[in-house]
Amino acid sequence: MEDISKITQFVINLFGLNLVFNVETIIMTWIVMAALIVFAFLASRNIGFLPNPFQVVGEFFVSAFYGLTKDALDEDMAKTYFPLICSLFMFLLLSNWLGILPKLSEPTKDLNTTLGLGIMGFFIAHHAGIKTKGLKKYAKEYCEPMFFMAPLNIIGELAKVVSISFRLYGNILGGAIIILVVSHLIYSLALPPFLMCFFSLFIGTIQAFVFTMLTLVYISVQVK
Amino acid sequence: MTLDVPVMIKLASYAGAGLCIGLGAIGAALGEGFTAGMANQGLSQKPEQSGDILKNMLVGQAIAESAGIFALVIAILLLFLGAPVTTMLKASALFSAGLCMGLGAIGSGIGSGYPGGHCCLGLARQPAISSRLTTNMLIGSAVCQTPAIFSMVVALMLMFMDFSQMPLWPTWAAFLGAGLSTGLAAIGSGAGGGLAAGASCEGISRNPDTVGQVTTTMLVGQAVSQTPSIFGLLVSFILMFKTFPESTALAASMALLGAGISMGFGGIGPGIGNGMTAEGAVRWISRNIEATGALTRTMLVGQAVSQSTAIYAMVVSLVLIFVV
Amino acid sequence: MAIEGVDLIRAAAFIGAGLAMGFGAIGPGVGEGFAAGKACEAIGRKPEEAGLLTRTMLVGQAVSESTGIYSLVVALLLLFVV
Repeated sequence: MEDISKITQFVINLFGLNLVFNVETIIMTWIVMAALIVFAFLASRNIGFLPNPFQVVGEFFVSAFYGLTKDALDEDMAKTYFPLICSLFMFLLLSNWLGILPKLSEPTKDLNTTLGLGIMGFFIAHHAGIKTKGLKKYAKEYCEPMFFMAPLNIIGELAKVVSISFRLYGNILGGAIIILVVSHLIYSLALPPFLMCFFSLFIGTIQAFVFTMLTLVYISVQVK
Repeated sequence: MTLDVPVMIKLASYAGAGLCIGLGAIGAALGEGFTAGMANQGLSQKPEQSGDILKNMLVGQAIAESAGIFALVIAILLLFLGAPVTTMLKASALFSAGLCMGLGAIGSGIGSGYPGGHCCLGLARQPAISSRLTTNMLIGSAVCQTPAIFSMVVALMLMFMDFSQMPLWPTWAAFLGAGLSTGLAAIGSGAGGGLAAGASCEGISRNPDTVGQVTTTMLVGQAVSQTPSIFGLLVSFILMFKTFPESTALAASMALLGAGISMGFGGIGPGIGNGMTAEGAVRWISRNIEATGALTRTMLVGQAVSQSTAIYAMVVSLVLIFVV
Repeated sequence: MAIEGVDLIRAAAFIGAGLAMGFGAIGPGVGEGFAAGKACEAIGRKPEEAGLLTRTMLVGQAVSESTGIYSLVVALLLLFVV
């Protein structure tokens, strides 16, 4: 129980700066990446009218998220941003579910992962906004509805990044700790599978969906 | 008047037990009363359905009662279980456990009463769909109880874990902060989740074909509303398990207590607000199912913005714990 | 147990920061949630106006957020500057 707060870290000293790597998070992320690449390879092999099971799952994700993206953005923008949204959801879904397998843990349990994805979404959304509206109109939007609201609007944009990252991090880390602590308290007798099912599978799915939808909505708000 | 350790422990555990059941009784009673009132309203509209409505009212009230039962269990444990390790730190832990469970039961009690009431009203409106209404009421109320379960887990941990290696001085405030953090944040999330579940029962009764969409949106909305209580739980765990260096400076203790207060109160508003958002979205999905996409997106955006103050509160808590 | 003046001031500052952000989060949370709920209802009545309604909701929520930001600023001031 005491090693809840221990993190194995790997530190490289480069030009006087300490580069810190969280070993467990990096390895788990690589596992997720490898699993997704293998899945993509198997799903796109021999595409035909009688699909293999991987192709069915792949088509389900693609059609569902293409519909959502087209709802939020218009046709050509949807084609540009749809791969990002779909792969973001699949990455987050598998990451949140990885904790169920023994000896593996979720990479989204680390704030670095979620904050990195949040900052990436922030830059993509604002890049899309500047590209569509032009720099002047984009900068003027910060002064709506009144000029001195500008600092509040800027803080609001930063708060969006903080909120989506911390929400995913808090939910996944909190769920993992609850499962650990309750299993410890009742000596892993009967409850843990149901807890795992609820916290890892159900909440993991919903939080992945919420993170993806919010990134999509932030892009669409900047673009309109 | 010497306050030696066994006296302090008894004092803390009795005060904690009193607060636990006293506060815990509020929520369950309010929720059950709301259910009974709506059941009566439904009976007045359709007296022939009295058997079904009464049955659903009792089931709904039983779920709302469970939050009160958690509080009763913790209170009785506090009264009669003698603490095996007697250090002053245990006194703070026991009092905090009582406070945590008492506060946490308020929101879940109120929240679980809401779907029960709307289920009864919906039965009067549409008796044919009673099994689906009961299922949604049970699912919604069960999700509402999760903040109370979080509070009970924290209370049990505070009561039974052995903390005797930790130094007394800043850690007593850390335990008090841990109890406040989870207990208070559970109020908002419990009540908010109930609003969403109640709207789903109402929506299904008005338009039974929309069951699938309504239930999905209710679950998504409730899951986002539960997030402030998860933040509170996270801050509680950090406060309980991080070893703080011993310092008799009042500033260090008040920093930890302030962290608990910040996250605790900070979870109330966003929890309720997120619940109101989900309620509006779910209610209108049942009336206008073609707009589901726009409604779900707006609900998520609105909930995300509304949660930002909970995030600010969590950031201030984390700064108080780690930086100061 | 002698409590020094400086120590007492820092302690009070920390409790004050906690109270400031804690209570300050209640109002904007409920208010913004209410706005979003009503926005959802409005979109349910008239989905064609979704863009306008969402923009209005966000503007209204941003104004409602302002007191929350004030309490965050005060909390951070109490923690780091005072």
